[in-house]
Amino acid sequence: MFERRLSTHLDWSLLVAVLAIAIIGIVMIFSATGGASREYWTQIYAVVLGLGALVVCLVIDYRTLVDKAHWIYLALVLALLAVLLFGVVRGGSRRWLDLGVFNLQPSEFAKAGLALILAKLLGDVRRASPSMQDLFLAVALTAGPLLLIANEPDLGTAVTLLPVLGVIVFAAGLPVRYLGIAAVVAVVSAPVAWMFALQDYQKERIVTFLAPEQDARGAGYQQIQARITVGSGGVTGKGFMKGTQGQLRFLPVAHNDFIFSVLAEEQGFVGVVVALGLYFFVIIRSLDAARLSKDRVGAYLVLGVLACFMFQVVYNITMSAGLAPVKGLTLPLLSYGGSSMIATLAGFGLILNVRMRRFTN
Amino acid sequence: MRIGAFGVVEDRRRLQSRITALRVVISVIFVLLLGGFWFFQVFQHAKFREMAENNHQRTLPLRAPRGVMFDRHGEVLVENRASFNISIMREHSRDLDRTMRLLAKVTGADEAGMRETVERHRREPSYRPIVVVQDATLAQVAAVTARRLDFELPDVVVQQVPTRRYPADALGAHLLGYVGEASEQQVADGGVATGTVMGQSGLERTYNQILMGTDGARRVVVNSVGREIRTLDEEAPTEGRRVQLTLDASMQRAAEEGFRTTGYWGSAVVLEPASGDVLTLVSLPAYDPNAFAAGIDKATWQQLNTDELRPLQNRAIQGRYSPGSTFKVVMATAALEEGVITPETKIFCAGGGTFYGRFFQCLGHHGWMDVRHALEKSCNTFFYTVGNQLGVDRIHDWSEKLGLATKSGVDLPNEVESIIPSTAWKLQRTGERWYPGETISVAIGQGQVSVTPMSMAVMMASVARGQRVTPRLVKATSNGGTWEPVQNPTAAAPVTLKPDTVSAVHDGLWMAVNGAGTAVRAKIAGRDVAGKTGTAQVISLQGRQRARGNGKDLRDHGWFVFMVPKDNPELAGVIFAEHSEHGYLAAPIARHIIETYYARKEGRPLPVMPAVPGTPGFTAPPPPTRAVAGGDDEGGLR
Repeated sequence: MFERRLSTHLDWSLLVAVLAIAIIGIVMIFSATGGASREYWTQIYAVVLGLGALVVCLVIDYRTLVDKAHWIYLALVLALLAVLLFGVVRGGSRRWLDLGVFNLQPSEFAKAGLALILAKLLGDVRRASPSMQDLFLAVALTAGPLLLIANEPDLGTAVTLLPVLGVIVFAAGLPVRYLGIAAVVAVVSAPVAWMFALQDYQKERIVTFLAPEQDARGAGYQQIQARITVGSGGVTGKGFMKGTQGQLRFLPVAHNDFIFSVLAEEQGFVGVVVALGLYFFVIIRSLDAARLSKDRVGAYLVLGVLACFMFQVVYNITMSAGLAPVKGLTLPLLSYGGSSMIATLAGFGLILNVRMRRFTN
Repeated sequence: MRIGAFGVVEDRRRLQSRITALRVVISVIFVLLLGGFWFFQVFQHAKFREMAENNHQRTLPLRAPRGVMFDRHGEVLVENRASFNISIMREHSRDLDRTMRLLAKVTGADEAGMRETVERHRREPSYRPIVVVQDATLAQVAAVTARRLDFELPDVVVQQVPTRRYPADALGAHLLGYVGEASEQQVADGGVATGTVMGQSGLERTYNQILMGTDGARRVVVNSVGREIRTLDEEAPTEGRRVQLTLDASMQRAAEEGFRTTGYWGSAVVLEPASGDVLTLVSLPAYDPNAFAAGIDKATWQQLNTDELRPLQNRAIQGRYSPGSTFKVVMATAALEEGVITPETKIFCAGGGTFYGRFFQCLGHHGWMDVRHALEKSCNTFFYTVGNQLGVDRIHDWSEKLGLATKSGVDLPNEVESIIPSTAWKLQRTGERWYPGETISVAIGQGQVSVTPMSMAVMMASVARGQRVTPRLVKATSNGGTWEPVQNPTAAAPVTLKPDTVSAVHDGLWMAVNGAGTAVRAKIAGRDVAGKTGTAQVISLQGRQRARGNGKDLRDHGWFVFMVPKDNPELAGVIFAEHSEHGYLAAPIARHIIETYYARKEGRPLPVMPAVPGTPGFTAPPPPTRAVAGGDDEGGLR
């Protein structure tokens, strides 16, 4: 399966950049949780396990995986159903399966699974752009896991499936006018949704985002604190483990959702430039993998995996600076979270896989 | 196939262009993100750095303990105890309304009152704590602390502050005074911040500057729920200076016991003639200064202010009463000093005398009287005659020289002036000239004569010493090391009396107590007590008819002025007992003070005040307890 010469085509620079971000994450978790905490060790184990998953996703030819995508997809849907039936409840939502040794969050793996099945679906199409039937099927395949995850409830993770769908159909040649129609529908439906579909607390969140000072206690408080955290870091930062905002808990879930704020506070603008640069490098390098892919299936697979990564990175970093409504969306590779780390590294295994096999038949 | 191949190439090209579009979009987003971080971290850094510091640094004021007050023998009169204040720091409030609601709930405090307090301080800087619960109980402190651990109430701080502790029995309440938060006026006058605790009455007020000390401050790092993590720096508070009073606590206690036992309200002032030291200063009824120490509640304050007995008034320096026959001490002194009479001059009393066409009565037919016997028997005729010869202006002048007119100058706030009329005074006040007939009433301490107990005490001390005395309350101050004596105040106009005057007046007063006089109840075997009783009319006879039945107590006040011993007196003072009708009923209080003084001086056990027959405090013998006898006196007065 794995031929020695393949390693010469492996994108080592992307792998190193990904690992660099993961290590920065471990260091920041060490700081945010006040030392060698339980979270710190969990994250280290997750990186080790994730590297294992990365290797597995790398050595199996991606075409084999895509070929078996419907089985993988089915397994994930069953896992998500199992979560709803037997899942572990934490913090008011049912997201985890208790595997004895650790708790697994299947929704994190649903992203890559969805990318595989959509790549299979649209990569096999021989037409210049996908047919209506293909589109409906793609939407339905996305809606299944999305609704299951939204029911946990975990709206944040559920929403990350949408970029996977969007980017793959976009790459598959969805006519631009469809995109235009989708945008118009979104704009028109927003007030309608505001009036009828949104719950009060959801409206509140949006209002809070627009005027954080109005609600200085709840979500608005977090947003203001996020800005203070980032802004007070300055150019060079307050120093490792010396950030007052994160260390004294003015910022909630600092090791998780707001890990990038902690980085900005303690390492300053310099640290932000380094971290943003690494993420940017990883994304551009992954887009290259899609561009260089031997076939469309590989390109779609890379773009699908990358789509939810990009979406989460951009959204979380924007939120970390207090520039987006606070949502429970983690920063891949940097935030604390075992399943997320393993799934993300597995996803990069797929990306590396596609690039590595660009010359093979 | 060809077309198909072309289609694949076309498709491939579109995929490439769409990937390029994604690359452009993501690049733009990253540039925007970088710009956002630059804006916050570089451009607005100063603003956010300050906000972060405000978040986690708090400056907590450390209130300086006020100086401790001692009596002349070193007994602690006023000290400090540790108490807890619960305050709101609005700067850290996320929801002030919720904080107040929750705080009222967990402490059981009055929410409306709390809101009022916060509203009152609304305009102050938000970093300044607003004290909403003063002198919190340990249960309240525990309740608040528990809530703070639950991530609630991050804007609430519990501070330990030194709070004044006064004697439990409200001893010398008017003298010591009380403390309270600076009033708006005091803040406007400058020098103090709102919320500063300062002396508002009595010695606390007069010596506020030296008692107050200097507050310190502590800068601490706190976490998001307000828990202190560590101290950055601390400036220790400086305790106020210690103050040693001239007061003798045991005599003060004896005097107050005397009033309780007899069942009178009133005032007592005892001075040491040689120094002007105030040994005793009583005003009753009193209030409990402890009620003010941690912020007085509205109801109590209202009640103190509307009470008809006026417990907040310091009768010793703010109550003005007609001196009655005690004024004859001034008359005798003035007449002897002016040479109107000699100690041997005799005047005939036939039960009164006619002056300016009107008959003025004496209480007896005393026959030939010299000044000594006139004082002993309190002969009106003698003093009518002498007064007529002196004229009102010389009476006024000598009153002033003896410290009876004007203020005594004692170091207490809000003293009122005693009034001894003169021709100029009347002209200025009413625009009318003085009628010589009015002088005859003045001669026996009636008419317009109106004096404070303190000024009477100063007059007696001056007569006792033969020299004008100025009273003082503070002997020395100290910062904890050696005592630095306070300089004696100098008399406004030093006056020295002739030895003949002194001995004649002293003799007369001695005879009043030890001879056939009116003040035998003050007599102490082996002690040459000299004294004079007096009765102050509360209302004229005609007025009494009119006012009958309106419920007001119209019975006369009783005075007793004294000095002991007769030669080179060690004590001089005055007892003023409201509505006691007879001065001699006030004399036993003086007697008890004097006995206490000698017992203390000679190291004997302090005497216990016996019940006095004829007073409201006297119940059928034997009285069950003194406390009950004292407690009955309110009923007895009404």
